Amino acid sequence: MLKEQEITNTIKSKINTTEDFFINTLSSANNRAAVGWFCTYTPEELITAGGFIPVRILGRKKIIKSESYFPINFCPYIKSSWESLLANTGNFKALIFTNSCDGMRRFFDIASRYLDNIPSYLLDVPHLKSKDSVDFFASNISDMKIFIEKLNGKKINEEEIENAVKLINKKRRVLKEYSRIFSKLSHLIYISTYYKVMELSMVSEPGIFIDDLEKYLKFIGEVSTENEISSQSNYKDSPAIMIIGNFIAEEKLWEMLSTMNFKLASDDLCISNRYFEKQVEPDNNTDLLESIAERYLNKPQCMRMADMGSKLAEIENNIVKNNIRGVIFISLKFCDNMLYSFPLLKQKLNEMGVPVLYLEIECNNFSEGQLKTRVQAFLEML
Amino acid sequence: MGIKNRLKTGIQKNLNQKYIKRLLGIIATKPVLYAYGSTFPTISDKYLNIFTIESLKKAYSDNSHPVGYGSLFLPYEMFHALGITPFLPEVMAGFTAGLGLAPQTLKEASSNWYSQDLCTFHRSASGASELDVFPRPDFIITTNLACDAAQKSFYIHSVKYDIEKNFYLIDVPYRYSKESIRYLTAQIKNICMDICSKTGKKFDISMFKEVIDLSNEFRKWAIEVSILRKTLANYPPYYNGLNFILPFHGLAGTREAVILYKQIYKELKKYSSKEKKENSNKNKQVKRILWLHLKPYYRNEIFDILDRENCRVVFEEINHVYWPELDYEKPFESLAKKMLSHFLAGSIDNRINVILKAASDYRADGAILFSHWGCRQSNGGARIIKDSLKKLNIPTLVLDGDCVDQNNSSQGQVKTRLQGFIEILNSEPK
Repeated sequence: MLKEQEITNTIKSKINTTEDFFINTLSSANNRAAVGWFCTYTPEELITAGGFIPVRILGRKKIIKSESYFPINFCPYIKSSWESLLANTGNFKALIFTNSCDGMRRFFDIASRYLDNIPSYLLDVPHLKSKDSVDFFASNISDMKIFIEKLNGKKINEEEIENAVKLINKKRRVLKEYSRIFSKLSHLIYISTYYKVMELSMVSEPGIFIDDLEKYLKFIGEVSTENEISSQSNYKDSPAIMIIGNFIAEEKLWEMLSTMNFKLASDDLCISNRYFEKQVEPDNNTDLLESIAERYLNKPQCMRMADMGSKLAEIENNIVKNNIRGVIFISLKFCDNMLYSFPLLKQKLNEMGVPVLYLEIECNNFSEGQLKTRVQAFLEML
Repeated sequence: MGIKNRLKTGIQKNLNQKYIKRLLGIIATKPVLYAYGSTFPTISDKYLNIFTIESLKKAYSDNSHPVGYGSLFLPYEMFHALGITPFLPEVMAGFTAGLGLAPQTLKEASSNWYSQDLCTFHRSASGASELDVFPRPDFIITTNLACDAAQKSFYIHSVKYDIEKNFYLIDVPYRYSKESIRYLTAQIKNICMDICSKTGKKFDISMFKEVIDLSNEFRKWAIEVSILRKTLANYPPYYNGLNFILPFHGLAGTREAVILYKQIYKELKKYSSKEKKENSNKNKQVKRILWLHLKPYYRNEIFDILDRENCRVVFEEINHVYWPELDYEKPFESLAKKMLSHFLAGSIDNRINVILKAASDYRADGAILFSHWGCRQSNGGARIIKDSLKKLNIPTLVLDGDCVDQNNSSQGQVKTRLQGFIEILNSEPK
């Protein structure tokens, strides 16, 4: 028994040392022309087709200078991202914003005005999902394409878009597979590892990342089969939890949650399923940009979209399908779209008899001890 | 105790729909209404209050007209043309502050999981809705124009009243373009047609024509008022341009809005003539303030302090007539253009252009941006507004506070900051 535990621990340690598997990925965006993006409604396909690496800005910087640009009660992700850009714009050739929320609109205004030498573009994303909205969004994406073409003075042709669609679709497929394996073997893969790889997928050259992730998944598959590690052995008494949130990319938070006794059975986050679910499905009768628009407007939606009813139904399905016993709702502070979703979500969860823990955090600035106590108390209650 | 205070105390003690209905039933009868109207110092103030009460009475009357909740920046011409009585929860939240009800409505919102970081206009309205103080809506129309909060909080209203199928979001594009006009026109048209089919009424283009004529007439007088105000140094003591949010938006397209704005024009014109005659040196010393965003709707000292210190609010950005004349031949497209023309839609540059033009037209010495807690769209632009006005040598005060929740605004701090700002204005060479 002890030996078995030792083997598992060794495997665990290997699997969770991601640096060893993603060496190429980690340097894939170095010294290469990149276009920065912020929101999962940004079609990476067009950035890739234009010959740039789509790099999501994660906002890891401690907020200092940014305070003089934004009010105190403003999205910490935006402030932190602005801090990063003020510190270093690296190899960004341009930034693409979306009108995802009031905060992002103002962020675009600030970047356009105060960030010298880097052009910014705002992609107008509709709040509805009707046919008219898809058409309108396709025309906006076409406008964004022109912006990207101007960056290096080169037209983007149909074949380049087709190839980019195939590549990004493949990235989504592999990420989905990774997510499935994580659910199955979540006692081997730490929560922090899971999200670290998700983050890598957003800041790296897509082709190189796909190669590395495929090798990583192959390794996980092989060691778990060889050692006959059963899928859920360590979790039979742990409650299945779903995490719902916005842009939660706090390494410390994920590390803290990795040490706690629960199974992360499902999530609904900007850095996870909202990013990789749903493929672009080109068909011969539809314009390619329209197919792209259709995918983005119909992917698992952010709380910004108008139809909260279908969002709640989406969450309800996930809860039922994954036999969720409790929900942890984590919002970055001052996110109106998230905060307004909570009263209805709470009502829905009450009806379903699923308890929910409400957490609000800031970027790089949360009280670990306090959060840990609250999560522990919640898990004990379950 | 005067009639207004009795009303206030009565509602505070009986915060329920039944009492409000009963109260409106009494106060909105002609003799009482006109007696109440006579308590106001000017005819325009009297009209404002009478029209507001009549509109509320209609919204609270049972089932005689469909009631539609609407967010502030909608083209209310569509409500009037469709025969829907508009009810504006955000404006009503301002009333909850004025009537001293906000502590109750905000508490109710908090107990229903509305975060305290959210805008109190929406929180207070949501609390009032949870307390069943508002009339039951038949339709809910909202927009993402200017801010995210309305589309979210209004959807929650629709769930509460089980009318999700009658919830409509008008999705206003970011840019003003041909595609945007087309996208928005189709939405407005579809909503109007859908409402017609649900109310069993045939779409009546002649109603639209009438409403659009009235809207243009109101627009004409609102522009006249704005032009006249450019020449004014002082204002009648009762005047506050921030009191006209309901008629400027919710009554656009009605006879009442035309009557009211015509009356405001007459009164200001009379005052202007008086001012010219007196031509006092005092006017030259007045510091002219451009007001940005809204004001606190509870009793506060801001405007008294400004008055005492010889500062006058010469224009409020919210009163800027931002839309072109409407074309009754193309009603839906006209309303789409109206929405897309709003200076709070799209880039901050749209707002900056309006502010800079107003600062120049109204010869502003300084600007005050009332930074309402939780209003990301407005406060998020504060730095750019401040820097832009600075280029014209116009100092800006970003005054932190809350339009609805008195407890979220420190009166002492507001006073100190205002006084500091006035000192700066007085030290600036004219």
